[in-house]
Formats: sequence, structure tokens, C-alpha cells
Amino acid sequence: MLDTTDAVAAGAPVLSVRDLGVRFWVGGEWFTAAENISYDVHPGEVLAIVGESGSGKSQSSMSLIGLLPANGRASGSAKLRGRELIGMPQSQMREVRGDDISIIFQEPMTALNPVYTVGYQIVETLRTHFDMGPSAAKERALELMRLVEIPDPEKRFSSFPHQLSGGQRQRIMIAQALACDPTLLIADEPTTALDVTVQAEILKLMRDLRERIDSGIILITHDMGVVADMADRIIVMRNGRVVEAGTSAEIFSDPQHPYTRQLLDSVPHLGANVRGGALGGVDLAAMSEDPDHTVVAADREAETAPLEVSLDSTDMLVHPGGESSDTGVPALRLRGASIEYPASGRQKAFRAAHRIDLGIGPGEVIGLVGESGSGKTTIGRAALGLLPVVEGSIEVVGTDITGLKNSQLRKHRRDVGIVFQDPGSSLNPRLPVGESIGEPLLLHENLKGKPLSDRVEALLDSVELPRSMRNRYPHELSGGQRQRIGIARALALKPKLLIADEPTSALDVSVQAKVLRLFSDLQAEYGFACLFISHDLAVVESVAARIAVMRHGHIVEVGPSSAVISAPLHPYTRRLLAAVPVPDPEEQRRRRETRDAMLEATAE
Amino acid sequence: MLTFLLRRFLSSALVLLVVSFVIYLLLDAAMDYYYDLRTSTSPNIAALYESRTRLLNLDTPVIVRYFLWLGGVGGCLIGSCDLGTAWQSGQEVTSMLPGAIGNTIKLVTAATIVSIVLGIGVGMISAIRQYTGFDYFITFVSFLLYSLPVFWVAVLLKQYGAIRFNNFLGDPAVGWTPIIVLTVFAGLFWMAALGGTAKRRLITFLVAAAATFATIYYILATGWFQSPSVGIVGVAVTGLAAAIVVVFLSTGLKNRRSLFSGLTVAVLGIALYIPLQWLFYYVPMNWFLVLGLAVVTVLVGLGVGLAFGGPDKWASARTGAIIAVIISVVVFFDRVFQEWGAYNRHPAINGRPVATIGASTPNIEGSFWFLNLDTFTHLLLPSIALILISFATYTRYTRGSMLEVMNQDYIRTARAKGLGERTVIMRHALRNALLPLASIIPVDIITLIGGAVITETIFGWNGMGKMFIDAMNRNELEPVMAYILITGILAMVANLVADFLYAVLDPRIRVQA
Amino acid sequence: MSTPLNTHDTPEAHGDGENSSIELKETEGLSQSAIVWRKFIRHTGAIVGFTVLGLVALLAFTSQGVGPIPGWWIHGHQASNPVINPSGAPTWTLANPFEPGPHPFGQDDIGRDNFARVMKGTQISIMVMLIIGAISMVIGTVVGALAGFYRGWLDAALMRITDGFIILPTIVVGAILGKLVSNSNAVMLGVALGAILWTGLARLVRGEFLALREREFVDSARVAGASDFRIMFKHMLPNALGVVIVNTTLLMSQAIVLETALSFLGFGIRSPEVSLGALINEYQTAFSTRPWLFWWPGLFIIVIALCINFIGDGLRDANDPRQKKIPSQRQMDRAAKREAEAPAAGGIRGDAATHPNTAEPGPRPTEE
Repeated sequence: MLDTTDAVAAGAPVLSVRDLGVRFWVGGEWFTAAENISYDVHPGEVLAIVGESGSGKSQSSMSLIGLLPANGRASGSAKLRGRELIGMPQSQMREVRGDDISIIFQEPMTALNPVYTVGYQIVETLRTHFDMGPSAAKERALELMRLVEIPDPEKRFSSFPHQLSGGQRQRIMIAQALACDPTLLIADEPTTALDVTVQAEILKLMRDLRERIDSGIILITHDMGVVADMADRIIVMRNGRVVEAGTSAEIFSDPQHPYTRQLLDSVPHLGANVRGGALGGVDLAAMSEDPDHTVVAADREAETAPLEVSLDSTDMLVHPGGESSDTGVPALRLRGASIEYPASGRQKAFRAAHRIDLGIGPGEVIGLVGESGSGKTTIGRAALGLLPVVEGSIEVVGTDITGLKNSQLRKHRRDVGIVFQDPGSSLNPRLPVGESIGEPLLLHENLKGKPLSDRVEALLDSVELPRSMRNRYPHELSGGQRQRIGIARALALKPKLLIADEPTSALDVSVQAKVLRLFSDLQAEYGFACLFISHDLAVVESVAARIAVMRHGHIVEVGPSSAVISAPLHPYTRRLLAAVPVPDPEEQRRRRETRDAMLEATAE
Repeated sequence: MLTFLLRRFLSSALVLLVVSFVIYLLLDAAMDYYYDLRTSTSPNIAALYESRTRLLNLDTPVIVRYFLWLGGVGGCLIGSCDLGTAWQSGQEVTSMLPGAIGNTIKLVTAATIVSIVLGIGVGMISAIRQYTGFDYFITFVSFLLYSLPVFWVAVLLKQYGAIRFNNFLGDPAVGWTPIIVLTVFAGLFWMAALGGTAKRRLITFLVAAAATFATIYYILATGWFQSPSVGIVGVAVTGLAAAIVVVFLSTGLKNRRSLFSGLTVAVLGIALYIPLQWLFYYVPMNWFLVLGLAVVTVLVGLGVGLAFGGPDKWASARTGAIIAVIISVVVFFDRVFQEWGAYNRHPAINGRPVATIGASTPNIEGSFWFLNLDTFTHLLLPSIALILISFATYTRYTRGSMLEVMNQDYIRTARAKGLGERTVIMRHALRNALLPLASIIPVDIITLIGGAVITETIFGWNGMGKMFIDAMNRNELEPVMAYILITGILAMVANLVADFLYAVLDPRIRVQA
Repeated sequence: MSTPLNTHDTPEAHGDGENSSIELKETEGLSQSAIVWRKFIRHTGAIVGFTVLGLVALLAFTSQGVGPIPGWWIHGHQASNPVINPSGAPTWTLANPFEPGPHPFGQDDIGRDNFARVMKGTQISIMVMLIIGAISMVIGTVVGALAGFYRGWLDAALMRITDGFIILPTIVVGAILGKLVSNSNAVMLGVALGAILWTGLARLVRGEFLALREREFVDSARVAGASDFRIMFKHMLPNALGVVIVNTTLLMSQAIVLETALSFLGFGIRSPEVSLGALINEYQTAFSTRPWLFWWPGLFIIVIALCINFIGDGLRDANDPRQKKIPSQRQMDRAAKREAEAPAAGGIRGDAATHPNTAEPGPRPTEE
């Protein structure tokens, strides 16, 4: 135990945690979620707690302010400027919460009360801790909203949470957390639910704030890129224990613990396969000056004039070599295809993709990248015939499926497989996984009994799972295992085209690395063409030969991976690339400067 | 918003139209128009059959008869209603309706309001004390209430609530055992409901038990049952208690301005008690005056709250208004109960005040207060029977909804902000938990109207339900169709009100529509 | 210099490296239905309800016999017997609880045995309840499934039909249908009432299907080539089974109350047939003279309905993944103390990480 009597002295840690443990009482037994956790947080410092799901990183932080679920208990010691937090009576703890320690939660969607205006919710925090009239509190709240760069705060003050975008809601959360100048700020996965460009803005905001306020910050995250961007010091947690602690530079450049090394190795590194890294082929200075426009160099052979592209341009820019090669029957061919979600009840039909031109050659893997709502999943669903193409045409493995009915589609579906994002939801929870894998075989090839069983076992072998797993139910498997089952099922009929819809985004990073490797191996073995949909540029870069970028329902850019990553044409692609944090503090600092310059130029 | 409501209205009107058609066909098949002739040995039986057929127009195909009926209903839109005639009594259905509708609405409204208030309160506490003795107790009670057949309870109520209770009122003497049981039960109930540490529970238990015992003792010792009244002491006690409880729940006792304005309103109410008695004495009362006084009361409450000023003057004003309303209700009932002695001695009552039959004592006359007392004694038992049905629904629903909300992220956020438990529950949880209740209320009102069929029959309450059952027994189609029409319209209105409430309360819907 | 704290804790070389996490241990070898079953049998109320209901049904069906098979009770429900006690009071008294006597529940004014009548009434009420439950379940499930799966105009049409049922109190429609089938037997009454009580279930099943429809395994099955029928009944229905069972159970408690109420009003089971409601109707005027005739059938209605409500509650809790029993603070304090004395009794490390999210938070410790 450290001596804490003079903890209030200058330079002393604001928070000093010793032997913190968290346990949960489940089914008549105590289960340990975290133990032996010790760390200090100094004023103005960002301490990142890194770990994969189930590492106890969140629960140990929640225990600091007594917000564990009712069956949780904390032990050990955590002193906030010398005041013991563990075991503090509720009435005192209430004064600490929001005033001395405040929290930014992960889901800005659900963390704000839907029936009160955001302004009211900030004012409420202020008036709980300060003796303040409503008008004074409103003034302060507006000031805070300006601090977190909410546009038009006077108007937003009386907006309800659902009227704001995800990024704005998270800004409100931050404003609320900063309301009482907390000594300690806990940010629990503050950007995980956000799109990458919004994440970049929020991270920038947090970094700016950190220079202006004197709080210690605990950043809880699983994303090494975010850590590289923000952290001064890092502790790595695994299974409820701290496995390694050190400064950011130490952890990233010289990790000691094998787990840390494995973790760092698993993170896909954007621009790893490209000389000069991401955006390496772009004149950064010119880009910072006018980020909303790019000048696409003239095509020398066709001798066209240089083309100026603005951020909102919906034209598709094609890199040299961006078209699919013409050999053989294309696995997927969209010609000017527009795709709609059909009207349902009072909701009107919604057009999610506009005049898409895209071809996938046989055996080719193409990555489709975009932020949420960009329409990338829509294209995947249309290729499966789950959504109608209302304009243009769509061809799957040589057959035009535009306007085909469900019953007519059935025999074409054996050429297409799909791997979904959420492995928990894509397997029927009431069927043993073996039956799930065998279903396409049963329905299309009418296999039964022994032959079916043999095929299922062969498929399990190929995704490197033990055969005995076929009788398990999905909830008995881990996320990674479930996703392997999903892949096995998709490959059961040896499809010529595989749609992989965010297949790894629900997985922990070390699992993701393994699944991606398996995917590449299988692709080489089976030789299917693949539309690989993801929001994560780094993942796509690691698997795809070509990349198509989507924005607001339009494909804005398509080309070979290396070209798109290193020399993107469309301003949006550039912005996207600049926003991805890379797990390397030095490189990330350089990239950040570029990006900040870009964002500043936009703001003006 | 308006178009949304209009569309809802039109679609339910269409549904009602189709339902009325189907029911008409079913009814026509179910009704036995010749039931009294079947056993007849009259020599001119054929002629009787024929005249019945002509009377009821049975030669005409049923579909045509439906449209004739519908034409009569359509007449209501232009001011000349014709809902047909009940053929046995020869009464016009339109002349039967107004009284029946009024009586049923009286019954259902009273039951709805009481069970909503009680149900939400108890359900909320049950959710907050999840998995405690109190929660288990309430769960058991609500399941028991779900399982109780209304008709059985109603007969029991008649026996014990009226006949035996009236006997008891004639000679109110209570043994020690029930007093002790009641005292201990009250103590345990409040202890379990309020919870807290062992010490706090013990204090709650003792205070609640003592208060219950004192109340029972006071009632018995003063012969309260012979002349029940609240009196100025009662008004003072309930007024001050209401002030403290309401302030605690709405703004917290730490808000001094709010507390002072609440207490001021209470004191004002007590001070006005005597002058009001004079007013009631000299001015003959009617419902318009009561309404006027209620408005004045609310304004006074608001005014006091505003007068105390401060940053949260509207919160104080709201608190003041709620307290003012509670006190005025107490004063109103106090005045009604002052008639008790005269009512009890009235020859038509003859010392048996709790009524079992009808909506009012026939041919009784008296002041506004006297007649109200008469209505209340008649309302008492059927209302209890109905409340028992829907109280359980509201309790369970509030509990479930509250548990759901307490699980939400924004409740965690509210706690992380450092808000007190009272604020978290009353401001953040309750408001959200009550939203889905708006969709339960119309369903429950329809259930209550159905329950009223039974209670009205048993308690001889001349409402819609009794009209329905009588007409069914007498094979009269027209009154039944009128019942279907009116109930359907009530259900439609209840649904529209619920939609409207929902839209007003939930900003997410408000903006979209 | 960074500090590795416990280097012996190397990452696993095999599998996904996440086998040490928890979900596995929580559910080890348990299918979803096994979990539901385990939670159900731990629900005291449900088990007591189940047992009591079973005993009541057993008593009712064996004592009076079913169809041609005679029961063991000496009296039939219609036969008049000589009145034993004054005014036919029960021969089974608290003073002598082990000797029920020939008329344990008493006799009515013409000497019929009340026990036999109540048992026969229980039999018929339970039968009607089961018929109502079965018919409502089938109609409600099919309508709900079709509406939720196909949406569009079919959904709109089916939902307008349920609206039509919902704007009128069930007892009113029940009375009209009861009058319509008044000349036939209890089975017809059950069928008629079953045809009106399904609406609530249909709405819930529809809601469930609308939600399931968005789940990826449905798309996954479609891509695998499954027909609509197969998707609906092989893939979606098993996942909606919880909703169906729970609500059919709760609906049956509604059903018995409805049937008895209708019989009481004279639009359900009528004399000479008996049901619990019809018995109360017949004897309500006799309350002051022969209260036992009124108490016993009422008691049986309550017991049956209460049991079913508890079973339904147990099933609902068991089916709700969020429902986890949270121990009281006192229990946890005691457990913590116990463990402090015997520190070896630790649980599996890291296991709790998944629990806090699935567990329903109990009340916060109240503030002192």
C-alpha cells in the first residue's frame, strides 16, 4: 500500500487504485471479474485501459463510482485525491458522481433520456451539484455546448436526443460529463458506436479538451488505434488481470507480455501493404488546403482534361485497373442498379443505392467500404435477391436476376453464399449448428443421412473446428466459433460468389485476425469470388484486391486496393483514410496533424 | 398529427361498421323471436306467429334489415336518431340510452381513476423493491385478483360489504384480535414498502403500527361510524401530510421554497375550512359551482407557488396546485359526510346505508350533498368489484414497465450524474415507464365495460351492461345493437385519447407525426 | 520500461484464444430449452401451481369419471340423496378433518351431493378451458405468423380483424356466441369462445415474427434455399414458441374466468349440465342459507385460475433471458462473509463478465 497521507500534494495522482477487485454473485457463487488491479492517474494524463471483451476493464472502472450491477461487489482501495471510494456510503458517493468523477458512456443513443431535451439534461447535472438558478445554468450549459463544438447551441439546447446525430449526442454526453469540472473523467468506449470520421472528430475534441482542463482521464477501449491516438500511459487487461502496464511508447514499441504482442500483431494496420502507407501518394499539403475538392489527374492515354471533384460529388471515380477483368463469366455484375427497401405500412419505399455499376470477376475479392447508412449492405442483399433492383440490372454468375420472384430465385441461390455480421444472430438458436450447416445441402442437393453427415464433417474440418461441435447449439459456441460455422454454412454449396457482410466487426481483434486468415485460406482453396463488405478500411485492405468506396448510396470510387489506399481520388475517401487511427503512436501523430489541418479547413 | 388522428378515427370507424354488421347477423341467428310462443297452447298460434313476424319484419332478409337499422343510426348524424324499439317493452331504444350511458360512465370512471392511481403507485414500489417480501406479496395479490371471478366477488361483497357491514354499523364493536392483526399488518406493509436499513425498517414499522392503532382507536372511541366526518382536525392532518409527501415526491424536501409553498397551501386550506362551511351552508351547491371552486383552488395553489418565487417557481407552483387539489377533495368529502346522520336516519335508508341495488335510492330528495352521499353509497360496492379487476392489471403493467426502464442506459447515466434516487425514479424512470401505459388504458377501459356487464347485473345498476343482459334474455335485438354501437364508440374514443396522450407525452412521436 | 506483471499467463496457442471466456462455462452443455426448463423448475410459484392444478384435475376427473368410465366417488352429480345434516350442511368439518363423510361439501336443497357437482363442474370448466386454449393458440399463432411474416396487405387485413375483436369486451361477444350455441354442448361453447380469445396472442406472435424477421438467420435460411413455409415453421416458430406457450397459458386463465362468467350470466353452460360458473349462478340466492354451495365452486375457480397464472408467470420468467434472480443484499453480505472465512471457495475466474449485462439489476442499495 502506498502512503496516501500527502496524496494531495502537487503532482500527486488524482486517482490511485490499489488491489481493486470486482466480483459478481451468480447462481450461488462468487465470480471474479477483475482482481489485483493497481494504477494511478495523474492530472491532465490519459490512462488507457485496453482489453478484449470480458477482460473486466469496464466493470473495474464502474466500481470506482459504485455503479456496478446489484450483484456486484468491489474490494480493495481506490482513492480520489485521498478519499476512499470503495465502500463509500451512497449519500456521499452521489456527490462524487458527476461532480468529481464523471463518465462518458459508449452508446450515445441510449445513454440520454429520450423524453427530456439535451439542454435540460446538462442543466440538471449542473443544478444537482451547484447552487445555481435555471438561467445561470442555461448560460453555463450553452457555454459547455460551445466548448464541445455543437453547432448552433441555442437551437440544439431544446432538441431531444433523437433529433441529433450520433456524434452530436456523444458531444452532449461529453458536455454533460465536463459540466462540473470533474477531477477524473472516465470514457468507456466513447467512440466505439460511431463511424470512423465521427470518431476522429470526437477524439480530436477530447484531445483539445484535455489540454484545456486539468482532469485525469481513464479511457477504456479495445481499439489500439484509439489508444495510439490518445493515451499517455496504458494498462493491458486480460481475464480480469493487468498483464502489462507502461507508457504508450513502451507498450507500442517494446511490448513485453506475449498477450500484448499478440494483441498488437492482430490489429490490421492500414496502409501496411502500400509503400508510403495510407495516403502516401497524396500531396498532403495541397489536401489540407482544400479538403473538399480534389483534382483528378488527367488520364494520359485518353487525354481528358483534369477533373475537379467536390466532396458531395456522386460520380464514380475509377482508378486505372479499377474495372474487373473480362475473363470468364463475372460473379456479380450490377449495371446502373438502383435498390430500394420496399414500402411497408406507412413507411415509404426507401432508395438505399443509386445507379450502382460494379463487377466482380470470377474468384476475385472486392472490398466494399462505407460508413453506416452508406448502402453497402444493401448491395449485398440485392445480390442475394433479398432486395429488389428497381432500375438497371443485376446479374449473378451469368444469370440476370432482376425482377425475379422468390420461387424463381431459389435455384440461383445455390451459387451465392453469405456470411453475416453478427454470428449470434445469423444462426438459428434452436437448431444444432450441424443442422444449420447441412440445411443448404438438404434443400438444394436433397442430401440426407450419411452423405449429408459426411459433407457437414468435411465442412467443419475446413473451417478448423472439431467435428464434435456439430451437435452443439449456437449459444454454446464463442463468437469466433460461431463465425466459423457461418462461413462453413455459406460454403456448403461451393458458391461462386460469397457475400461477406461485416464478417468480423463483432469479433475481438485477436479473433478477427484468425478468422480473416482462415477466410483468405479458404478463398484460395475454394476460389470463390467475394464481395467483402466492411466499415473497416484496414480489414478490407488486408483481404481485397480491389476496393469500392460508398457514400450516401453511391459508389464514389473504385480501384485496386493499393491505389485507393495510397492515392485516393475522391475527397471523401481521403477523409475516410485520414480518420482511421493506426496502432502506432508516432505514425498516428503525423496522420493526426494532417487530419486536423483538414478538419480545420473544413470548419472554416 | 391531426391527419394521423383522423386516419386512425376513420379506420376504427370502418372497423366498427364491419363489426356491427357481423354482430347483427350473429345476433339475428342467436335470437329466438318466438321463444314465448313455442310453449303456447293458444288456438290461434299460427296468427300469433304471423303477427310476430310482421311486428319484427322477419320476412325481410336479415341483410336488408341491417341496412334499415344502419339507416336509422345514420339519422343520428342529422339529428334524428332511430335505434329501433325494444319489442317486448315497446320502449324506444333512444329513450333507454341516456340514463344507461350516464350510469355506466359514472361507474367505469370512478373505478378507472382509483385503479390507475393505486395501481401505478403500488406497481412502482413493487418494481423498486423487486425480489423483496413486498414485491412477492403484491405479485401474489395481483395474481389472486386476476383469478377472482367478478361475479363471485360481487355476491360476496353484497353479503359482507353491505348486509353484514350494515349490521356492524348498527352496533360497531370490534374485538381485540382484528385490531391487533390490522395494526401489525399495516406496520409490516409500510415497513416492506419503504425498506431501508434494519433500524429504519423498525422505525417505519413502529410508526405505521402506532398510527394505525391510533386511527382505529379514535374511530371506535369516538363512535365515528355513527357520524363519520373528517372535521377540521382531519383536514389539517391530511392536508399537512399531503403537503409533505407531495413535496418530497415532486421536488424533494431540500427545496425550501417548494416546501414552504406546499405548507402555505395546506395552512390556507385549513384556514378556509370554516368560511367554506358557511359558503356551503348559504349557497345551494351544484356541479358547476364545484367545478368553479376547483378551478379557483388550482389557481390559488399555482399562485402560492409562484409567489414564493425563486428559480424553480413553476415546480413550486405545480406542487402547490397538487396539494390544493388534494385538500379540496378532502374538504368536499368532509362536507358530503356531514350528511351522514340525516342520511342514515332517512326512512328510505333506515340505518342500512351501504346499498346493494341500483344507482340511487328511488324517490329520495335532498340537498346536493345529500344526493351525492346517496350516489356514493350506491357506487361503493360495484366500484370495488371493478377496481379489483383492473387494479391488478395496472400494478403488473407498471411493475414490468418500470423494471424495463430501470434497466436502461439513461438511468445509469442519471445515476452517474449524481442525481438522488428520488430524482432518478420520479423524473427519469417513471416518466418513461408511464409512456406505454397509455396504450393499456383503452384496453383496460374496454375490459371494465365488460366487467360492468356483470357488476351491473348483480347490483341492479341500471347501466348499459344491464340493458344488454336484459335485452339478450328477452330476445330483443335493437337494444343489444345499441349497446354494441355505444361500446364501440367508447372504445374508439378511448383509443384516440390514448394515441393523443402518447403523442403528447413522447417527443419521439410528437415530432414525427 | 514497461512492466509485464505476470508473464506465466501466456495466451492460449490454440483455438480462438477466447475459450477461456465465459459464455462457455455459463451454459456448458445446456440447450436453450434446458435453461428454460431449469429456470422454470426453480420457480417455486410455478411448481406449486403446477402440482396443485394437477391434483385438482386428477381429483375432478377420477372422482366423477370421464365419459363411459365411472369414477370412484359414490354419488353422481345429478342424483338426489336423502339430506343428512340440517339443510344439507357439509359432513366434512374442521372438527373432524379426517372423516369427510358422505357429503363432504354439503348438499343442495334437493339433496344433490355438492362434491359430485363441484367435481363435475371442475371437469367441464377445465375441458372448456383447454379447448379454448388450444383453439386460440392455433388461430392466434397462425394469424400472427402470417401477418408478421408477409406484412403488407395481409398484415393490415388481419390486424383490422383483430381490431374488430378488440373494440368489444370479450364477455359481450362471448354472450352473443354463447346464446348462438346454447342448444349444443360444452365442446361447442369452447370452440365458440376459442374463436374470440385469440386476438391478443395473434398480436404478440405477430410482434415476435416481425422482430424475428429482421434476424439474420432468417435471411440465412432463405439464402440456403428454404421455402416460406419452412422458414416460418422450422426456423421462426421454434424461436417464438416461448411467447406462444406463455401467452396461451395466461390466456387459459382468462378463458376459465370468461367461461364461468358466461355460465353465471346464463349464456354458457346451462342446467342440467354443470360448470363452476353455472353452479354459482344456480346457488347465488342460497348464499345466506347454504353458503357452502356458493363457496366451493368459487374456491375451485380461484384455485385453477391462480395456479395457471403462476405457471404462466414461471414460464415467462424462464423464457425471458433478462430475468435472472438477483440475490438480496443481505444474502450477498452473508456469502461474502462466509467466503472471507474460507477463501479457497473462489469461483471460475472471469466468469462474471457476461453476467452483469444479462442480469436484471435489482434495486440499488437504498440510501440511508
